[in-house]
Amino acid sequence: MLITLRPKYSFKVPVEAECINPSLFAEKSTMEIAKLQVWEGNRKRTLSDLFKITRETPNPLEKVTIKIAGDVNKVRRIGSKMSTGEITVNGNAGMHLGEEMKGGIIKVTGNADSWTGSMMKDGTIEIMGDAGDYIGAPYRGSTQGMGGGIIIIHGNAGNEVGCYMKTGLIRIGGNVGQFVGVHMRNGTIQVKGNSEGRAGAQMLKGKIVISGCIPSILPSFTIDRITPTVKVDGEKVEGPFYRFIGDLAENGNGKLFVSKAKNPNLGVFEEYL
Amino acid sequence: MPVVSNVTCPVCGSFCDDIEITVKNDVIVKVKNACAMGEAKFLNYASHRQTKPLIRKNGELVEVSLKEAVQKAAEILASAKYPILYGWSNTSCEAIRVGLELAEEVGGVIDNTSTVCHGPSILSIQDIGISSCTLGQLRHRADLIFYWGSNPWSAHPRHIDRYTTFAEGRFQKSAWRGYLSRLTGILSKKRLHRAVNLGLGRQTPSPPETELRLPSTLLQNKRKMIVVDVRKTRSAEIADYFLQVKPNKDYELLQALRMLVRDEELDVDKVTGIPVETLEEIVEIMIGCELGILFFGLGLTMSQGKHRNIDAALSLVRDLNRRTKFLIMPMRGHFNVTGVNVVFTWQTGYPYAVDFSHGYPRYNPGETSVVDILCRGESDAALVVASDPVAHFPNVAAQKLVEKPLVVIDPQVTPTSIMADVVIPSAFVGIEVEGTAYRMDHVPLPLKKVVEPPTTCLSDKEVLQKILGEVRRLRRNHN
Ligand code: SF4
Repeated sequence: MLITLRPKYSFKVPVEAECINPSLFAEKSTMEIAKLQVWEGNRKRTLSDLFKITRETPNPLEKVTIKIAGDVNKVRRIGSKMSTGEITVNGNAGMHLGEEMKGGIIKVTGNADSWTGSMMKDGTIEIMGDAGDYIGAPYRGSTQGMGGGIIIIHGNAGNEVGCYMKTGLIRIGGNVGQFVGVHMRNGTIQVKGNSEGRAGAQMLKGKIVISGCIPSILPSFTIDRITPTVKVDGEKVEGPFYRFIGDLAENGNGKLFVSKAKNPNLGVFEEYL
Repeated sequence: MPVVSNVTCPVCGSFCDDIEITVKNDVIVKVKNACAMGEAKFLNYASHRQTKPLIRKNGELVEVSLKEAVQKAAEILASAKYPILYGWSNTSCEAIRVGLELAEEVGGVIDNTSTVCHGPSILSIQDIGISSCTLGQLRHRADLIFYWGSNPWSAHPRHIDRYTTFAEGRFQKSAWRGYLSRLTGILSKKRLHRAVNLGLGRQTPSPPETELRLPSTLLQNKRKMIVVDVRKTRSAEIADYFLQVKPNKDYELLQALRMLVRDEELDVDKVTGIPVETLEEIVEIMIGCELGILFFGLGLTMSQGKHRNIDAALSLVRDLNRRTKFLIMPMRGHFNVTGVNVVFTWQTGYPYAVDFSHGYPRYNPGETSVVDILCRGESDAALVVASDPVAHFPNVAAQKLVEKPLVVIDPQVTPTSIMADVVIPSAFVGIEVEGTAYRMDHVPLPLKKVVEPPTTCLSDKEVLQKILGEVRRLRRNHN
């Protein structure tokens, strides 16, 4: 079953639409879907006030796919708590995309905003463009970050990717900002591009692999060894990599792998091996 | 002439409560005990004010009645889909409480100035926790005082004098004599340096700012002060020791100190240019103190790393408490910025950036903080109370703020009020009207009334109540 949502106009104030959820749409008729409640700023609206909804039903038993045709960068919480089905966004998506998602797939052809995959438990999010800050991070004040699933961002991501991450995998094709894997408890983060530094700050466990440049390593990390390759989700990534252990200021035992070839500035650590 | 004593000073977060004001014919003529900033406010507050409400008509601000201004303000707020209500740290807790009610009524986002100052501190305190105290305790007991990224000599002029290094405490004596001898030493060194240069006809640079060897005064059993900053401020000059950190490298320095406190080895010789041996000596002094306090300012909260810098600072203090007694406190700027966080929290559960658009409070700085909302161009109206965002926000945010209908309640004429569509001048709280405010250590103190306000100026609280009443009337009629 394919349901297409087309924005009727370009949204100015934030729209909260956690009802855009394949698991929820599966149980509803088109009329019922049209009546689902969304917020436009402080006004209550129905989904059909904001979107033109079309439904194609070749086989009602098939899994639900929601296609959003248009830019929805102001629409927040798309796919929040979804457990099955698929959402594709042809354009940019707003904040909290796939928050607390339990399964299914979200694909975005453009960019995603901050808190993408916030506290997700399972499923896959794939962003073809860039993403904002706090990918997979929990809400403010919580220490329960991403608890499973996969987030793939082909472009760049902002600061604090994988903050308080517990398990799962985050892959960033481009560069990341500061504090990738801050307060990380476990799980894996792979960055193919550069990091702006402070990688793995206050991490306790888990693995961060940075194939690009990093300006410096935090003083609370200690060099452990040089490895030729490192495994990410069963796949071999060619190195060589410096392997650091930290964050020792937190008594942490996280592993931070940083490309040797791209970071001649870290050669000074070799004397401590 | 009547003298009003024990007046609180409505300027900075130190919120001094020992000011004496002499009033003659309802005009303040003399101020005792205040610093230059406090005195200037009491003596000159009325010299740059507008007393009549204004509304922008055909591009010009024209005088109108209070009723008309209130009605216009209420219409703007009630018709907005996503209004923002900003400011609050320069007014009384009583006014803030009405502001929160108004935010709930219009379904807006209410935020205060901590969003651009100590907001990151609050985020970290929620993550890590804080071991803090009142300033009285520090005045009597603290023997090691750190100011990190903060310049109290210029921003909180009586802080050092009343609460820390130069205060005469019951168990700790004032350290001003040491400062005097140090000052004489610094001045003669500078004079000598200049004389030598003059004699030899050369221009040599002045000696390096950070002495790598710690002075002997730090090892003595008396009150001492250490300043950590990116440049040698006035406060750094009076400190026993000045530790210069490279810009945006505070996090690294704090984490290195934490490592040393935990008896871990560092894999480097220098951290942000400071030799590890120097850091080891500093850590020894920290561990050896009887009661230490780390005050931190915007140099820490607003440099790269923001709330993570505070994470590290709070964790450092937590680590230190395994070995000695150490406390930490943010140096709050405006006189009631602590109060605004307190009132927001007791009314909504959250200290700033509270979004009422769904009818109940939600909080997520970055998403619901006013500067971010403005930069994304999401708000469609604004109310600014006792603040000047046009002068202080980033350019884009200020521009978006004035593009949409803007209501300002402020006793002063500010760049924001000049750009507004509705201006309602109010009375000066703490001078012309009473109220309550919280000192930076969360101690509530009364704001006093010492002179009468102009007849056309109501208090912020009364103006807000009128707008709230009008909004409710509009809502009723609409339904
Ligand atoms: S230190 Fe601050 S509160 Fe005290 S008198 Fe000066 S300006 Fe006023």
